Amino acid sequence: MPAMTEALLKVSLNHYLVLSAILFTLGMLGVLLRKNVIVILMSIELMLNAVNITFIAFSRYSGNIDGQVMVFFVMTIAAAEAAVGLALAVLIFKRFKEVNIRYFEHLRG
Amino acid sequence: MLELADYTFYFLAALVLISGIAVITAQNPIFSALWLALTMIGVAGIFVSLDAWFVAGVQLIVYAGAVMVLFVMVIMLFDLRHEIHAFSRGILSGFLKLASAGIVLGLIVGTVYRSAETVFAPPPVETDKMADVTKALANTLFTKYIFSFEVIGVLLLVIAIGAVTLSRIRGGTHASHD
Repeated sequence: MPAMTEALLKVSLNHYLVLSAILFTLGMLGVLLRKNVIVILMSIELMLNAVNITFIAFSRYSGNIDGQVMVFFVMTIAAAEAAVGLALAVLIFKRFKEVNIRYFEHLRG
Repeated sequence: MLELADYTFYFLAALVLISGIAVITAQNPIFSALWLALTMIGVAGIFVSLDAWFVAGVQLIVYAGAVMVLFVMVIMLFDLRHEIHAFSRGILSGFLKLASAGIVLGLIVGTVYRSAETVFAPPPVETDKMADVTKALANTLFTKYIFSFEVIGVLLLVIAIGAVTLSRIRGGTHASHD
């Protein structure tokens, strides 16, 4: 049924949402499976980007600009989170000469 | 009939997903960072395809520019030659993690295909000019969301001070030498 296939392939809001869902799951897998703190932070950035795609897609398909404003806030939070996370990674590396996630439990004070 | 916009979307989606997979599978963190930069560029392209030009520009400048420079600089600070166990060990827990990620993906996609089509069935709204979208964005940001905007500014100040404080803490091996 070529007509039905074409209707499925025609890009709609669903396509953007599914792309965002796959990207979010990839980020989640990265956070769960990797042990390097820096790669975990990158995976969190992936998840935040997936959420941004959802915001922009809904904003476009509902004709409401508020979603784009939310994306600005998400980007700000993401940059701040990366700065603090990388500072913690530097702290871990100074103590243990390795950036493994399991050393986080030894950080105190 | 499929149009150019559809093919552009599939190309960008493939770019984002392939580089996203490469981010979490690359053994060397510096390769992860470079793949992440490619992902960010792909996401910016998707923003352009959704007529969010200004957000796409900000995405390129903030993510592919500033945040990636931050990551790469921190990676260059470290000596990461011996990262043998890049992935967490444990077959059972690995399967559980993969299964939970699959469940999340299935739930979201299932929900999307059950609901979104009915809610947002009408075709996308007529697009404005590039400058109009940016103007509307600025109008919303500086009137309706002005309080959030100011609070975000305060948050950034706190984050900057916190990051500097964290990186100045002398701990572990350094403390014994002082």
